[in-house]
Amino acid sequence: MTISSENIDLHAVKSALKKEQNKILFRQIMTNGSLVVGFVIIAFLMLVALFGPLLIAHDPNTMDVLNRFAAPSADHWFGTDNLGRDVLVRVIYGARISMGIGVAVAIIASMAGLIVGIYSSYYKWLDHLLMRISDGIMAFPGLLLALALMAALGGRASNVVIAVSIVATPYIARVVRSEALALKEQTFVEATRALGASDTRIIWRHIAPNTLSSLIVQATFIFAEAIIVEAALSFLGAGIPPPAPSWGNILSDGKTYIYKAWWMTFFPGMTITLAIIGLNLFGDGLRDLLDPHSSKATK
Amino acid sequence: MKTYLFKRLLAAIPVLFIVSTIVFFILQLTPGDPALVILGQEATVDEVEDLRQQLKLDRPIYEQYFNWLFNALKGDLGESYFMNESVIEAILSHLGPTISLGILAEIIAITLALPLGILAARRKGSVTDQSVMAFSLLGMSIPNFLLSLFLILVFSVSWRLLPVAGYAPLSDGLWEHIKFLILPAFALGTAHAALIARMTRSAMLEVLNANYIKTARAKGVKEKWVIYKHALRNAFLPILTVIGQSFLGLMGGTAIVETIFAIPGIGQLIVNGVMRRDYAIVQGAVLYVTFAFVFINLAVDMLYGIVNPQVRLDSKK
Amino acid sequence: MGGATMDKEPILEVKELKTSFRTERGKVTAVDGVSFDVFKGEILGVVGESGCGKSATAQSILRLYDEKQAIHEGEICFEGKELLSLRPSEMDKVRGNDISMIFQDPLSSLNPVFTIGNQIAEAILIHKNVSKREAYARVLELLRLTGIPAPEKRIHEYPHELSGGMRQRVMIAMALACESKVMIADEPTTALDVTIQAQIMSMIVELNQKLDMGVILITHDLGVVAEVCTRVVVMYLGQIVEEADVKSLFTRPLHPYTQGLMKSIAQLDCDRSQPLHVIKGTVPSLHQIPEGCRFAPRCPFADDLCRSKMPPLEQYGTGQKARCWHAATISEEGEAIRA
Repeated sequence: MTISSENIDLHAVKSALKKEQNKILFRQIMTNGSLVVGFVIIAFLMLVALFGPLLIAHDPNTMDVLNRFAAPSADHWFGTDNLGRDVLVRVIYGARISMGIGVAVAIIASMAGLIVGIYSSYYKWLDHLLMRISDGIMAFPGLLLALALMAALGGRASNVVIAVSIVATPYIARVVRSEALALKEQTFVEATRALGASDTRIIWRHIAPNTLSSLIVQATFIFAEAIIVEAALSFLGAGIPPPAPSWGNILSDGKTYIYKAWWMTFFPGMTITLAIIGLNLFGDGLRDLLDPHSSKATK
Repeated sequence: MKTYLFKRLLAAIPVLFIVSTIVFFILQLTPGDPALVILGQEATVDEVEDLRQQLKLDRPIYEQYFNWLFNALKGDLGESYFMNESVIEAILSHLGPTISLGILAEIIAITLALPLGILAARRKGSVTDQSVMAFSLLGMSIPNFLLSLFLILVFSVSWRLLPVAGYAPLSDGLWEHIKFLILPAFALGTAHAALIARMTRSAMLEVLNANYIKTARAKGVKEKWVIYKHALRNAFLPILTVIGQSFLGLMGGTAIVETIFAIPGIGQLIVNGVMRRDYAIVQGAVLYVTFAFVFINLAVDMLYGIVNPQVRLDSKK
Repeated sequence: MGGATMDKEPILEVKELKTSFRTERGKVTAVDGVSFDVFKGEILGVVGESGCGKSATAQSILRLYDEKQAIHEGEICFEGKELLSLRPSEMDKVRGNDISMIFQDPLSSLNPVFTIGNQIAEAILIHKNVSKREAYARVLELLRLTGIPAPEKRIHEYPHELSGGMRQRVMIAMALACESKVMIADEPTTALDVTIQAQIMSMIVELNQKLDMGVILITHDLGVVAEVCTRVVVMYLGQIVEEADVKSLFTRPLHPYTQGLMKSIAQLDCDRSQPLHVIKGTVPSLHQIPEGCRFAPRCPFADDLCRSKMPPLEQYGTGQKARCWHAATISEEGEAIRA
C-alpha cells in the first residue's frame, strides 16, 4: 500500500472536524432535556434578577399601610405584606440578592475548592492537613456551622457569602481532589513529567483543566445549596438584615402571618423552589453531558 | 472486623478534635459577652466582671480552651450560661425529641422511597418512571423549612388536621407524641425520600443489568423473586450508604424544622445557644452532634459488613 | 466424540427464529431467520465471530430478553410446546428445568451475596416439590458429579471464594439440578485458563454421555468444536450460513466463510514463512447489512448474483446445508484447501 503524497490541506481537515464536533455537541445539548429546561429556568430567573428592578417603578420597601395584607389581585400579583409592601416587587429584588449570593458563593467556593483540592492531591502532607480540616467542616451540619459563623461575623450580605463559602468549599475540594488523584495516575502526567515540566505546570496546565467538568457540576449544586442556606439563615434572623428583601427575609416575615396572608409564604416559596429545580436540572443535565460514565447509573 | 472498627474509631478522634476546636474559636470570635447578656444592660461593670470571673471568661483563650477540653474528656461539659442546668443535662433532655423526629422522618423517607425507586427501575423509561423522577426532583428541590411552611399552610391552617407546632413527649401517649411530629417528619423526610428513591432506582438498574440476574432468570426464578431476592440484596449496599448519609443529614436539618415547629430538640438547642451566645451549650452540643455523626457512620459500615459478605471476609484475612 | 444415542425426532426445533431489538438508531435484527434442530444426546456446536447472533439465539430460546425491547418471531418447539407463545409463568417452568443454560463468565454470573449451596438449591427448590434437606442432599450429589472436592464445605462458600474453574463447575451443577433435556452452554470456557478449559469441556462431554443430555455449545473456538461436537451450525451476521456434521464441516466446508475460518486456524505444522490467512474485510455492523448475500463483500468467489440476491439455505448431500449460490462449484476448490 503506498501512501499518497498529495498535499492534504490540514486546515480544511481541522475546521471540518471542528464543525462536525460542534454539530454533535449541539445535538447532545439539545436532546438533553434536563440541561435545556434547567437552563431556561435559570436564565429566566437571572434575567429577572438583573433587569427586573430596572423595569419596576418603585422601591421594594415602599410601604402602603392602607393596603396591608392585600390578597393577590391585578394590582398586586403576589399580594402585599404586613407593611403593605408589594410582594412581587420584593421577590424580584430578592432574586438579585439571593441569586447574587448564590453565584458569589459558587464562584468563591469553586476557586478555593479547586486550589485546596488540587494541591491536596499533589502533596501528601498538605493532603493530610487539609483533608482533616475539610472532614471537620463537613462533619458538622452546614446550616449550623454557617449560623455560628454568622453570629461571629455579624449579619451582612458579605458575611453570608463568606460563611456559606466556607461551608461549601470542602465539598468542591473533595470532588476536585478525587478527580485529580485519578488523573495523576494517568500516563500522560508521567510523560509530561518526563519531559521536564515543573510541578506547577503539570498541576495548572494539565491536571486542573481536566477537573473542571466535575467542578462545574458540583458548583451548580453549591449554587443551589447557597440559595437555600441564605434563605434559612435569613429566615432564622441570622442572615441579611431586614428590610432587605432577600427571599429568606420575605419568608421570615410571612411566617408570623401565615394564617392571615398565605401569599407571603407561597410566592417567595415557589420562586425559591423554582430556582432550585432549575439548578438541579441544569446540574444533572450538565453531569450527563460532561461525564457520561457517571450518568449511566442515574439514567 | 474488630480491628477495622477500632481503626475507624481511631480515625474519628482527630475529626472530633478539629470540629470542637473550630467551633470553640468561632464562638470566641463572636461579639457579645454572655455575662452581659445574662445580667442585662443595667448591670454594673463590677457585677459583669464578677460573673465573667466566675464563668472563667476572663482567662486567655487558650487557657479556656484547654480547661474545656480537659473537662470534656472527664465527661464534664460545663454549665449552661442561661439555663439552670449542666450542659449534659440540657443535651440529654433535648435528645429525645430529635431522635424521635429523626427516626420518624427516616421511616417516612424509606417507606416512600424504596417501593417507588424499585417501581421506577422496573418500569424504566415509562410514564411511571418519569413521574417518580419528577416527584423526586420536586422533593429534593423544596428546602425543608419551606416545605414545613407549606405543610403548615395546608394541614394546619386550611384543613386543620394537625397542630401547627408544639411537642408532647412519648409519656403522654403514642398518638399525642406522634401528632406533633408528623408534619415536621414529612418536611424533613421528603428530601431524603427523593434522594433515596433516586439511588434505589439507579442501584436497581445497575444490578438488573448484571450477569447473575440473567442466570437467575435462566434458572426459572419468578420475576418477583428476581427483583426482590436477587437484585435488591445486591442493590441494597449503595442504598444503605445513602440511607446512612441521609440519617446524618437529618441531624443538620432538624435545626430549622425544630425551630419552626417548636420542638425542643438538639437543633433548636444549638440555634438558641448560638443566638444567645451560650458558649458552653453550643460547644457541648457540637461535640455531641459530631460524635453522633461518627457513630452513625460506623454503624452504617458495620451494617455494610453484614450485608456484603465480601467486605466481611476480606477483613478476616 | 459425543452423542451416545441419536433419535430421529428432535427434542428442540427452532424454526425461522427472528429476534429484533429497538435501538436509538432503529430496529436491529440480531437473529434473522435461524432454523435448526437439536436431537437427544447430541452436542450441537454453534460457531461464529462475536456479534454473529449466536448468543442472541441462545438467549432467545429461553426468552431471557426484556420483551419490551426485544421482538421475537418464528417458532421454538420443545416437547410439543411452542415456547414463544407461552405465558411468563409457564416459561418460568421451562427455564432451568427443561432447558438450562450456562454462561461465559462464571464470576459475574453467580450472585455474590448468596452461597453457592443456596444458589444451586434454589434451582432445585423452584421446580421440584422437595424439602430443603432433600434439596441440599441433591446439591451435594451435583457437586460431586461436577467434580468439586469437599462439597460439604463448598456449600457454605461464596462465589468469590472459589477459583474460576470451580465456579464454572458450580454453574454446570446448577444447570443440571433438574436434569434438563437440553443444556445451552454459551462460551463456557472462554473466560477460563486453557488447562481449565480442557477439564470443563471434558466434563461437559462426560455429562452429555452419562445423562444423555442434549447440549448446544456456543463457541468461537473451532478446536473445541472439532473435539467435542457431533454437528455444527455456522452463523454469520444473524444467519446460519452452513450446517453439517462435524467431520464434513472440517473436511469439506461448503461455504466460503467456513472455508475461510478453517484456513485461518494456525496449524502446528504449517509453513511458518507464510503469513496467517485472514478473511479480508471486517464484519459489517448490524445497522448496515449488505444487500444480497451478507458475506459477499468479503467473499473471494462473489459475483453479481451474490451481491444482489440472498441465497437460501440449501441441502447438499446428507445433513449438510450451505447458504451460497456457488457452494457446489466451490467445494471442489474447497477440497484442495483442506488436506
